[in-house]
Amino acid sequence: MHTSEHREQFIVPIGPQHPALKEPGHFEFTVDGETVTAASARLGYAHRGIEKACEQRTWVQNLYLFERVCGICSHIHATCYAAAVEKLAGVEAPPRAQAIREVVAELERIHSHLLWLGVAAHEAGFDTLFMYTWRDRETVMDLLEVITGNRVNYSANILGGVKNDITPEQSAEVLKGLDFLEKRIQHYLHVVQNDEFFLQRTRGIGVTTKEMAERLGIVGPTARASGVARDVRVDSPYIAYPQFPVNMMVEESGDLEARTVIRIKELTESCRVIRQILENMPEGEIETKMPRRIKEGEVLMRVEAPRGELWYFVKSNGGEKPERVHVRTPTIPNMASVVALAVGHQLADIPMILAGIDPCFSCQDRAVIVNYAKGGHDHWTWEDLRRYGIEYYRKQRRV
Amino acid sequence: MRIATMIGDISRSLFRKPVTRQYPFEKSATPKALRGRVEWDAAKCTGCNLCVRDCPAMALDLHILDRKNKQFVMRYHLDRCVFCAQCEESCRFDAIHLSDKKWELAALTQDPFDIFYGEENNVRTVVEKVLKGNAGQDAGKDSGAKAQAK
Amino acid sequence: MNNINGLIALLLFPSGLFIMAGGLAYQWIDRKLVAQLQNRIGPRWFQPFADVVKLLVKEEVIPEGANPWLFQAMPILALASALTAVLYVPMFGLRAAYSFPGDLIVTVYLMSVLTISIALAGTNTLTRFSLVGATRALTQLFCYEAPFLLALLGPAIAAGSWQIGEIAAYAGKNWWMIITQPVGFFIAMVGLMGKLELPPFDAPEAETEIVAGALTEYSGRGYALFRLAQGVELIVGLTLISLFYLGGISNPLFFIVKTLCLLFILAALQALLTRLRIDQTVGLWWRFIAVLGLLQFLAIAIFATWRWIG
Repeated sequence: MHTSEHREQFIVPIGPQHPALKEPGHFEFTVDGETVTAASARLGYAHRGIEKACEQRTWVQNLYLFERVCGICSHIHATCYAAAVEKLAGVEAPPRAQAIREVVAELERIHSHLLWLGVAAHEAGFDTLFMYTWRDRETVMDLLEVITGNRVNYSANILGGVKNDITPEQSAEVLKGLDFLEKRIQHYLHVVQNDEFFLQRTRGIGVTTKEMAERLGIVGPTARASGVARDVRVDSPYIAYPQFPVNMMVEESGDLEARTVIRIKELTESCRVIRQILENMPEGEIETKMPRRIKEGEVLMRVEAPRGELWYFVKSNGGEKPERVHVRTPTIPNMASVVALAVGHQLADIPMILAGIDPCFSCQDRAVIVNYAKGGHDHWTWEDLRRYGIEYYRKQRRV
Repeated sequence: MRIATMIGDISRSLFRKPVTRQYPFEKSATPKALRGRVEWDAAKCTGCNLCVRDCPAMALDLHILDRKNKQFVMRYHLDRCVFCAQCEESCRFDAIHLSDKKWELAALTQDPFDIFYGEENNVRTVVEKVLKGNAGQDAGKDSGAKAQAK
Repeated sequence: MNNINGLIALLLFPSGLFIMAGGLAYQWIDRKLVAQLQNRIGPRWFQPFADVVKLLVKEEVIPEGANPWLFQAMPILALASALTAVLYVPMFGLRAAYSFPGDLIVTVYLMSVLTISIALAGTNTLTRFSLVGATRALTQLFCYEAPFLLALLGPAIAAGSWQIGEIAAYAGKNWWMIITQPVGFFIAMVGLMGKLELPPFDAPEAETEIVAGALTEYSGRGYALFRLAQGVELIVGLTLISLFYLGGISNPLFFIVKTLCLLFILAALQALLTRLRIDQTVGLWWRFIAVLGLLQFLAIAIFATWRWIG
C-alpha cells in the first residue's frame, strides 16, 4: 500500500481582488476544513514610486505628493514631512499653527478610527454598525471641510505653518459637532463591549501577546491593544503635543475586542484634546517664512498616525529638491502579525484579523526591486523608472 | 452581555428620513473655506511666476506677453488641478484665490477643463501660440479653447 | 378543462409568473426595510426586477472543470422545486391549487431542494470559494432542517393532520398558535432565516470571506434563476409560518399584512445580528434551538396523547 507524504493542499486565495480587501494585496491561506494551517502574504501591488517621484519635485510641491501617500491619514503625512523639513531648515512654525495642526490631526484620527470601526463591523458581518459609524463619520468629515476646505486631502499644512486660521465661528461649529460625536462614540463603545453576537466574533480572536507584539515590532493601536505602552504623541511629543498632551490608552488582552475598544477609547481622548485646544488656542501668527533652499543635512521625524508610528527620513543636499526621502508607514510592521496570527484560526476570522490592524496597502507598497542580473544600474532616475514600467507592461500585454 | 444592542438606533431610524443626501436635487451649503476653481486677477499679477513654480500638479501656465503693461495670460489646466491652494499661499499680491462657489466642475467634454484667463486679444495670441506648439496633436481644440476665453 | 386549470396553476397563478414577481417584490421590501432600519435609502422598487432581467440577458459563462450539464441543470431544478412547492401551499388567502394528505412533508422536502441544488452547484465548480461555500451550505442545512421541521410539526400534531389545508383550517378555528406555541414560532422564523441564508446565518455566502459562496461562478441565467428561487422560497416560508402560527388562511388582505409583519421581523433580526461563524451556527442550532424544539415537541406530543386518551 502506498501512502503519500504530501497531503493535497487546499489554498484559499484572498486578493489581489477580493471583497474583503479594499486595496490590492495577495494572501494565501492553506485550510484544513475551516481551520487555517498556513498563511503567506504578497504585497506590492499598489507601488507608486512616490519616494522616487519626490526627488524630482521642489520642497513645496512634495508636501502635496506626500499628502497622497495615504488618503485616510493624509494630514499626518503632510505634517510629518512639513515638521521634518522645518527641523532641517531650522525654522519653527508658530504655536498657533502647531495647535491647528494638532486639531486637524486629531479630527483625522476620529475620521480614520470611525472608518475602521465600520470596516471591521462589515468584515464581521454586522452591517448595521457599519452603516451607522459611516453615517457619523460624515459629521467629522464635514467638520474637517469647515476648517480646512476639503473632506479628504485637507492640505491644511504649508511649510512653516498652516493655510487657514480657525475662526471663532468655525471653532463653535466644531465644538457642536464634537458634542454629537462624543455621544455616538460612547454608544459604539457600549455596542462593541456588550453586543453578544459581535463579541462572538471579536472576543478571544487573534490574541496578540505583549511578547509577540514586541517581537514583531507591531505599532500603533494594534500594539497598545496588546499592552505595549507605545505612542509617539506621548513618548516624544511633536507639533503642539507638548502643550496639549494626550493620555495613552492601553488594553491588555490583545484580541480583536481590545483592538476595537482601544480605538474607540482613543476617539474619546481625541475629542477631549480637540476641545481643550479650541478653548485655549494660542494667539499669534499661523505661518513663518520658509527658505526655498533647505540647508544640507538629514533628519528623522516620527509622528503617531491613526494606524501607528509613522516616520520620515529626509535628506537635503542644500538644493531646491530633496536628495532622498524615505517613508515608513505603520502598516508594514503590523502586516507581519496577520500572517503570524492567521494559523490556527477559522477561515471566517481571517478578514477580521486582517482588518484588525487597519491595513493601508497603498501606503506600505514602496519597495523598488532592481534586478542587477539583467544589467541594471544602481542609480535609477525617475525617467528610467517610468520607461521601465511602460516597457514592462508592454511586454506583459504581448504575452 | 446583551444581544441587539443597536435596537435603539434601528427603532429610531424606522420613523426617520434616511440621512442620505440626494445630491444633485438637494444641495447643502458649502463652507467658506471650501477650495474650488482657481480664480486669477490679471490686475494684481506681477508675473513673478511663483505660483507656477510651486504648483504640485503643473496646472498653471503663465504666458507673459508684456510685463511692463501687465499683459498676461494665465492658462489653467482644471483637469490637472488638485485644489491644494498652494498658489493662493504663494502669491504675494493676492492675485489668485480659490473660489468657494465654483466647485461643481464636472463636464461631458474636455474643453471646459482648459481655461484661459486674460484679455481677449491676448488670449487669442496665446491660444494660437499654444496650438502651434502642439500642432497636429489636438488641432480640434481651438474652437473650444476660444469659447472658454474670458 | 382540467388540463387548462393545471397549466394556469403552473404557469400563472399561484405558481409561475405571479409568484416569481411576488418573490422579487418581497425581496425588495426586505432590502428596503433593512435600508430604512440602517437609516439609508435602499433600492428603488424595480431594482430586483431589473437585476433579474439583466442577469437573464447576460451570457452564462460555464467555467472550466465544471460539468456543463449539472451546471445548467441545478438552477432549473432549484427554481422548479420552489415553484412546485407553491402548488401545495394556500397562497394569498386562497385555497391551495393541489392538496393531498401529507403534502406538508412534500412541501418541506421541496423547500430543501433549493439549498441542496446550491450546494451541488458549488461543488460542481473548481473555485475554492464555491467549495467552501457549498460545504458551509450543507453543514448549515443539517443544522436547521430538523428544528425547522419540528417547528412545522408542532401545529401538525395539534391539528392531527399532515395536510397543509387542514392544519390551516384548524389554526383558523382555534387560538393563534403563536400564543399556544411561541417557541415553535420562534424556531420557524429563525429556521427560515437559515434556509434563506439571511444574516446572521449567511456564512455560506459571507462576501468578506468567500466572495459569493457556492454561487461565485454563476453569472448569467443560472444566477437569475437561483435569485428567483430564493424569492419564491421566501414567500413560501412566510406563508407557511403565517398559515400555521398566525391564524390560518383568512383573506388576501390579511395574508399580505401578516406576511409583511413577519418580513419586518426578519428584516429587524437581519439588521440587529452579526454574522455567525459556521461552527458558531452549528453550536447555536444543536445546543440551543434543536433542544428547545425537541422540548416543545415533547410537550405537544404529551398534551396530544393525553387529550387522545382522555
